[in-house]
Amino acid sequence: MAANLEAARRDLCSRVLPVLEAGPGGDLGEPDFNDLALALYRFQFEWNPVYGAFCRGRGLTARAVDHWSAIPPVPTSAFKSVSLATGPGDQELEAVFRTSGTTRGTDRRGEHPVVDLRPYHAALESTFRHFLIPDSADLWSASLIPDPARLPDSSLSHMVGRVSERLCAGSLGYFADPDWGMDLQGLGGALDRAVDEDRPVLLMGTAFGFVHWLDELFRSGQRRVLPAGSRIMETGGFKGRSREIGRAELYEGLSRCTGIPPRSIVNEYGMTELGSQFYEPSLRDPATPAAVEDRWLEAPPWVRSRVLDPVSLEEVGDGHPGILAHLDLANLNSVAHVLTEDRGIARTGGFSLLGRSPGAEPRGCSLTTEEILRAGGGTSA
Amino acid sequence: MPDRFRAWQLPDMPSIAVGSRQETFGLQLELPAITSDHLHDLASTLRMWGGEVLARRTALEMAELIGGVGRRFLDPADPLRQEALALMPLNSGLSPAMAEEVLDGMALDWTPERLDMLLHMEFAEPRVLDEFQHGRGARMVRARGPRLVVHIGAGNVPGVSVGSLIRSLLVKAPLLMKPGRTDVVLPVLFARGLAEADPEMDVAVGVAYWPSAQRELTDAALAVGDAVVAYGSDAVVGEFRGRTPPTTRITAYHHRMSCGLIGKEVLTRDDHQRVAHDAARAVSVFDQRGCVSPHVLYVEEGGEVDPRSFAETLADRLAHWSERLPPGLMEAEEASAVRQLTGEVEMRIAAGAPLELWSGEALAWGVILDPEPGFRGSCLGRVIRVRAVADLQVALSEMTSVSRHLQTVALEGVSPPGRTRMAEALAAIGASRVTSLADAPWPPPWWHHDGGGPLRSLIRWTDLER
Repeated sequence: MAANLEAARRDLCSRVLPVLEAGPGGDLGEPDFNDLALALYRFQFEWNPVYGAFCRGRGLTARAVDHWSAIPPVPTSAFKSVSLATGPGDQELEAVFRTSGTTRGTDRRGEHPVVDLRPYHAALESTFRHFLIPDSADLWSASLIPDPARLPDSSLSHMVGRVSERLCAGSLGYFADPDWGMDLQGLGGALDRAVDEDRPVLLMGTAFGFVHWLDELFRSGQRRVLPAGSRIMETGGFKGRSREIGRAELYEGLSRCTGIPPRSIVNEYGMTELGSQFYEPSLRDPATPAAVEDRWLEAPPWVRSRVLDPVSLEEVGDGHPGILAHLDLANLNSVAHVLTEDRGIARTGGFSLLGRSPGAEPRGCSLTTEEILRAGGGTSA
Repeated sequence: MPDRFRAWQLPDMPSIAVGSRQETFGLQLELPAITSDHLHDLASTLRMWGGEVLARRTALEMAELIGGVGRRFLDPADPLRQEALALMPLNSGLSPAMAEEVLDGMALDWTPERLDMLLHMEFAEPRVLDEFQHGRGARMVRARGPRLVVHIGAGNVPGVSVGSLIRSLLVKAPLLMKPGRTDVVLPVLFARGLAEADPEMDVAVGVAYWPSAQRELTDAALAVGDAVVAYGSDAVVGEFRGRTPPTTRITAYHHRMSCGLIGKEVLTRDDHQRVAHDAARAVSVFDQRGCVSPHVLYVEEGGEVDPRSFAETLADRLAHWSERLPPGLMEAEEASAVRQLTGEVEMRIAAGAPLELWSGEALAWGVILDPEPGFRGSCLGRVIRVRAVADLQVALSEMTSVSRHLQTVALEGVSPPGRTRMAEALAAIGASRVTSLADAPWPPPWWHHDGGGPLRSLIRWTDLER
């Protein structure tokens, strides 16, 4: 049994890894993608006990599916309650990534068990290089995201660590502690050093981290022009950790305080539940729009993202909003097809994320566990 | 081309132009081009002229007048009802059948008889709203409504805002109302009906919708009221408190949840069908968005019908109601929440967790049989949790965790004196209403909504001592 599993895993990995390593510039047409996606489906159907039972519960068999879009997607909330590793329950894992939850910390956290980091690393490195370092620049990294050594279960920290180590000439350090407290003085000192030595910087952080930093820069009146070729990777989300500002305003502020052209500030969208990430092509492709509101996120060719009607799970027409589902071949050892809670809209070349729909205050009296706890009056259910 | 609807009924209406437009579920709301200065002027008009108009009428005359308008919403031949039924689905997303069910249920309480009764239930002598009356002891008492009540509605259940509007007028308080985005049609039509019935009422009632994003308008509204009545999520209501002047009385209806307790007495071959039928209806009405809509049904073990069979019957009845009262349209977030919860339950079942799930096509309804201890709310979308308990006492202890949000408890299968004892325990936890599953969706106009008197919570007393 176990030998069969490992043989199947090896075989699949040998087919998928080259695709991931080839990067977004690689050539993966629809028929090849479909073949690989179906191979992953059959592998996961057979060897992922929970996913297999889920599919059988829907009356499916390993052979019943002939197009990737018919592979049943797993809702992200399932990552909070069941283990989704493909393979036996007692197998060794190379990592377990957990969702961050919110600042209040009472939400259940999703878990993505990683059996083999190779696909994850291959996807990460080739995609990051493609969208953020297409010029093969020698960059020094600086991170407003916690050090992976101190926050090992964060896929975002892991990613930043890997990028610093593998894709950068050196690291200026991590300037956020595991509780996301920011060492902005430390960051300032490190950036001064980069300026002195004229080394272009790759600055990575979250939207809320950058808001804190900008507030500090405006307060102290400090701004420094970073060496030419410097760039920023910004990853979305405020999660109640700072005041929320629009992305256009944020990028404008960042550009003003660092001298980095807006086009070189790139948004990354990643999820703990996925092995692959999405980026804006603004830095790599000067033909794409620089204005934040006109940008879109691109998936690498081994990911198919669709915008679905949440009721029917059918694809919505072009230009209509819906919820995002991703089929990610880098998820070969967990579950490949994931249904998110994120709202998006399809665009030529990719998709855009949407915030909450305008004016859509929640319409029912539905409360999260967290809200109930905040109101007090009892212990956690 | 979607239908259009002017999202306001304000004194001096012709001078207000259409500003922006906002689309709901096929209805284009035309929003009034107003500013905070307008709202200040409007508040003066309502307070001064509206107050004067209302002072000239007795509370019982007001009940007669308002009831006359309310009755029009029950008359199939009346154009006001016809317009309401045509537009409610486009404004709220409710299916036409559900819109009719909701209007019928709501408007039954808007008639002269019910409003007269409401006045008498709240005040031994309703004339106390008109002039000083002899009270107990050597004093006279007088009850007055605020000089201007500002209402901020939520929109989860169409018609709730009309109830709020009526209560204000019964205590002879002029009002300015900003209804919720998906409950605009009914209060505007009601205000229009009032002005038709009595042209002087035009200066006593102002209804106008604007998006919450126009904070300066909401802030102006919160500032001009002598009292504020606000409905919404905890976050929204909490924010309103902070934005309302400290001298303004605020009655806030925050998030609430309801549930059902079903004792084994009624879990017989004969009775359980009826209970499941009523439960399914209570879940389906308002597409479960009401504060009175149940999230969880606690079902006692040891009856002739076990909780699992009850859940199965409930699923069958939910399917029945989804045909009689089809589900309406959901916002993407609402539908996504249902997808996530039911999908997660499916995955947990696949992982061997002892849950069961029954669900309808296209997210029409769902039943989750959940053996895990603890109160867990629903994602809404007619998804109900059934929790089997050895004894209803278990339910009481689990419900304690949501005491601050607990509202209606539908209690079945516990006959007196156990019923009173159970109500006593529920009251101690924080429930403000114990009823049957059949009545759960339709509290009477005199219900102590979240524990306060419907009219008494609005008024202020003046004592005249010897």
